[in-house]
Amino acid sequence: MASKASLPSSSVDRSDLHDDTQITKSQEQDPIPKEILSVIDFLKKQVAGERCNSVQKRMEENKQKLVGITTHLLKSSTERRIRRASDSDKGVDLLTKRQKDALDMQNGINVSDGENDRSQEDGHEPSAVLLGSNVAVRNAVRPIKLPEAKTLPPYTTWIFLDRNQRMTEDQSVVGRRRIYYDQSGGEALICSDSEEEVIEDEEEKRDFVESEDYILRMTIKEIGSSDLVLESLASCFSRSPGEIQVRYEVLTQGEKAVGCFNNRINEEISHIASTFLDKDLDAALDSFDNLFCRRCLVFDCRLHGCSQDLVFPAEKQPKWGPVGEENVPCGPLCYRSVLKSDKNYTGGSPLRSDLEEKHPMSSDGTGAQISKKKKSSRKAARRRAKSYQSESASSNAKNISESSESENELRQDGNTIHQSPPPNSKITGVGGIPKRNSKRVAERVLICMQKKQKKMAASESESLASVGHCPNDVKIKSNSYKENDDTSSSSRKNIRSPTVGRPRRESLTQQYNKFEQNETLNNSSNEIITHLPIDSCDDNSRIEECVDENLCKQDLAEDKSWKAIEKGLYEKGIEIFGRNSCLIARNLLNGMKTCWEIFQHMNYSENKNCSQVGDGSNPHLDGYAKGNNEVRRRSRFLRRRGRVRRLKYTWKSAAYHSIRKRITERKDQPCRQYNPCSCQTACGKQCACLLNGTCCEKYCGCPKSCKNRFRGCHCAKSQCRSRQCPCFAADRECDPDVCRNCWVSCGDGTLGVPNQRGDNYECRNMKLLLKQQQRVLLGRSDISGWGAFLKNSVGKHEYLGEYTGELISHREADKRGKIYDRENSSFLFNLNDQFVLDAYRKGDKLKFANHSPVPNCYAKVIMVAGDHRVGIFAKERISAGEELFYDYRYEPDRAPAWARKPEASGSKKDDGAPSSGRAKKLA
Amino acid sequence: MAKYSLGSEPVVGSLTPSRKREYRVTNRLQEGKRPLYAVVFNFIDSRYFNVFATVGGNRVTVYQCLEGGVIAVLQSYVDEDKDESFYTVSWAFNVDGSPFVVAGGINGIIRVIDAGSEKIYKSFVGHGDSINEIRTQPLKPSLVISASKDESVRLWNVHTGICILVFAGAGGHRNEVLSVDFHPSDIYRIASCGMDNTVKIWSMKEFWTYVEKSFTWTDLPSKFPTKYVQFPVFIASVHSNYVDCSRWLGDFILSKSVDNEIVLWEPKMKEQSPGEGTVDILQKYPVPECDIWFIKFSCDFHYNAAAIGNREGKIFVWELQSSPPVLIARLSHAQSKSPIRQTAMSFDGSIILSCCEDGTIWRWDVMTTS
Repeated sequence: MASKASLPSSSVDRSDLHDDTQITKSQEQDPIPKEILSVIDFLKKQVAGERCNSVQKRMEENKQKLVGITTHLLKSSTERRIRRASDSDKGVDLLTKRQKDALDMQNGINVSDGENDRSQEDGHEPSAVLLGSNVAVRNAVRPIKLPEAKTLPPYTTWIFLDRNQRMTEDQSVVGRRRIYYDQSGGEALICSDSEEEVIEDEEEKRDFVESEDYILRMTIKEIGSSDLVLESLASCFSRSPGEIQVRYEVLTQGEKAVGCFNNRINEEISHIASTFLDKDLDAALDSFDNLFCRRCLVFDCRLHGCSQDLVFPAEKQPKWGPVGEENVPCGPLCYRSVLKSDKNYTGGSPLRSDLEEKHPMSSDGTGAQISKKKKSSRKAARRRAKSYQSESASSNAKNISESSESENELRQDGNTIHQSPPPNSKITGVGGIPKRNSKRVAERVLICMQKKQKKMAASESESLASVGHCPNDVKIKSNSYKENDDTSSSSRKNIRSPTVGRPRRESLTQQYNKFEQNETLNNSSNEIITHLPIDSCDDNSRIEECVDENLCKQDLAEDKSWKAIEKGLYEKGIEIFGRNSCLIARNLLNGMKTCWEIFQHMNYSENKNCSQVGDGSNPHLDGYAKGNNEVRRRSRFLRRRGRVRRLKYTWKSAAYHSIRKRITERKDQPCRQYNPCSCQTACGKQCACLLNGTCCEKYCGCPKSCKNRFRGCHCAKSQCRSRQCPCFAADRECDPDVCRNCWVSCGDGTLGVPNQRGDNYECRNMKLLLKQQQRVLLGRSDISGWGAFLKNSVGKHEYLGEYTGELISHREADKRGKIYDRENSSFLFNLNDQFVLDAYRKGDKLKFANHSPVPNCYAKVIMVAGDHRVGIFAKERISAGEELFYDYRYEPDRAPAWARKPEASGSKKDDGAPSSGRAKKLA
Repeated sequence: MAKYSLGSEPVVGSLTPSRKREYRVTNRLQEGKRPLYAVVFNFIDSRYFNVFATVGGNRVTVYQCLEGGVIAVLQSYVDEDKDESFYTVSWAFNVDGSPFVVAGGINGIIRVIDAGSEKIYKSFVGHGDSINEIRTQPLKPSLVISASKDESVRLWNVHTGICILVFAGAGGHRNEVLSVDFHPSDIYRIASCGMDNTVKIWSMKEFWTYVEKSFTWTDLPSKFPTKYVQFPVFIASVHSNYVDCSRWLGDFILSKSVDNEIVLWEPKMKEQSPGEGTVDILQKYPVPECDIWFIKFSCDFHYNAAAIGNREGKIFVWELQSSPPVLIARLSHAQSKSPIRQTAMSFDGSIILSCCEDGTIWRWDVMTTS
């Protein structure tokens, strides 16, 4: 561009330009002023000339390169001659000999008898026949026979597929011209495409190329911009004048922009490096949402494709809690360890970084120690828990259901304290108080004992339990709160007495506390606040200030260091794991943030929330309400689940009936392609699945209670092998996610057997899902072409393998079918109302199984985890090495001539020598 | 592709012969009744620069060009299968230096004949349909590549008889592959073209370890881990009909369809996104009456000139590397009326051979201008 711009015609200088413009104006009446045309022509010629030059230059460059290459090649071919000559004594090179003979003969040197003899000694004819105008022609060289080699039956190169793939756009033959020449002449163009389709050469919106820009710019520069100029330019480029106008404006703007362009590039480069972390989570997840298949759990799924509609399940997963890992620090930077070392290191700075460096090992050690102690106490806790739960009144039911396992554990620990005898060393408590604090432990135990004596109601005892460890929490906190510690525990005692009168309220508050169990310092001070409002609001605000101050010092600074994506991940973590910084750190922010940092952030954001929403009043109402909401939502969920179960077990319910009916109704029709619906409530009339006539599957958004769901089976002894099994009857495979009793064992059992569900009968209706297929061999068919053979003998109705291929639309299949018909081979297989399987270029060995009206196999379209797949099954007992045939079941009007009339005469058993009439080659 | 935007038009050669060189017929021989589909000089060993091979029907014949227009028959091979119809032949060399003639045709079997011992060396079975072209890697002449009707291109090691790579699959040709060629200097690169109207450039760089492995393989060839190369690095839609011949000219590609011309173009690949790119059509070499498919052109050793026959039995000799292209000569003979399937130019371009549909071989020699 720049080089071209510097070349412009020197013939037209500024004054000329001015004149031109005037002339143009004066001659506006002229249809096409000569000046415009001449300028354009001149520029066109210039462009063409430059093009010639550039081609010439490139040709020249290429030529130089080629010279080097060919010289090198020549050198190596000369070397070959020399090398060959040097070791020519190894044996006779007949080609060289013949060459020499021919040369000699031409030169008139008669091949002497001696030479003749010699060559006969070698066992070779003297050879060489000269064919030329001036030399006598000797008749024919004796031809050397090339022994026949067995040819392969024809096939097109194909790629193995172990699962179906959807056709990619570039594989389509629709709208693409296919040219045939007739067999005899090889000249005539027979067929392009069927008539119904017009290959529209859609006029693509061409981009302006550099040269057009140049002409455009120079023309307007020289003769100014007028309608005429634009028109003539338009006719020159064969575009519309409007386009030219727009382009010109773009160009003039572009020129101005060029100046600052370079700067921008630099900026962009520096920008790119950090884009990943600057993105927020949604943007980062964008590619995940687009590329990850939630049905196959793989990226870039070839079956369901990219950019699938996102279906979010209406039912949220319960928060995931760890099993038996509580209170074990997740690593040296676990908040537990940090807190502990913080406490141990009484004189130390509260800064985390210091602690990290100084005490990673010690905190680790303590962690392990604690876990040991915990185990013993937990046992007792479990035992206790049962009686405790049964004891607890209905008011507590919510709490129990709501609280995650970890919370349960904590509460149980609290209970242990009540139960266990007071020896100091045994009482470890929630935070795992080291022995050093024996004084405090004693104090705490004392409190507990006091409480116990009070013999509260069940609900009250629960609140006691939490109160019992609350001071403990407080004690763990940083040194700055050491003083608070004592005051708080004492104040707690004070506070408690008024609350006793209102046990319900207390328990709710506790519930909140428990919900936020894992919180530190700031929150525990909030816990104090919880009780304060009852007494005075002034206290509340005071402590809040204190909290804020604390936050401002440490956490605010940290908050800034949290990148958008980290925050996003953190929020997801809260969704998945609840307020468990260990799990979040390990699973989501590994390498980015430590557990301790997350912990701090958690508290910080919690407090910020509170202070913002609460705005000086009771900051807990918010959190309290939230906790309560959670409870309500979950409990509703539980209820719903209970109902689902009931429905699930009554398999003779209406749902099955309607499905069966649908199946029978549609017996002869192709099945319907399933697409997950995204209903968020139980599917109504608008449900996409219902409208489409398919069942809802586990991939749908709708809740499990949806009436349109297929409910699976609960077969046991029948092993889902007959139509007794609702899954089998509906031509579906069982799905362990849906069916109740369906399970399979792994391996041959030497590695142990998994927990068996139901009775001891494993499901036999999951073979496609588990790829439990027979070994199929590819070989020369006894009929014609290729054939598929079975390696091991199988019994009747045994699953042999899947017929895989490309999933193509019916329209595409019609087109391809025409092409395949010409080649007299088709690998198309009707799958459902939307798709046809084509195994022509992609498939597996079963595509080579031939058609027979008296087959030994049958094909069946089966729904496997929401997808239709074709399974090939044995129709009878098949012995090892037998060729596989199945009935292609052509639609009567579409069958090729040879497949229309079954020629076979009932004789089924002709394994060894199948008559050629029995089965015909298709594949 | 009919329209070129301003500033990217190809330079089209003029059909007026420059008469730089003139050729005349010095020999004509009838090999048989069946059409001859291929003729090729040996460029790999300088001893055999005057030796060429032809195929037609079930015969493979080796000749020598002698002074004065004389052609000597050196060897003749006949496939015992009378239905075999060879379409293509190429010279290759074993690692020990013995000359091989590699031929393939309708049966889909590649016949490797050791011309040094006049025996069949190996037969490669694997292609699912007929073989349309075989070419030899000039830098490693024991590697040959074959283009087949089964929509694949395969790379073979003639020494060990191994099929190393199969170029087919998701990004492969959608119809018969008619022609294939090795890049002259980039050993990893090949270009193939066929009835799906495209030219595809493939790279075997990532698979080169397999190529090396094939030389030292001692187990059965069938046990070799043959790899599929499913995606080409470049797909060019230069033509709108069958593309039946493509050759590298340095980094450019010469290709022809049934449009009465040879096209020279440059593939401009995008580094970041393989498979994409643009085509810059640089030059065109018109060839009148050349609108049937399976007519192949040939170049001399240094790629100075290309010769191509046409439907009417005429030959056009183009100077390849000049811009604009110059037609060196138009060769015609009263008795040459049959379509010329392929031509062969000798090392220095002084001899042009043509093989015809009617089974004749014509030899044209350059006339020394005094």
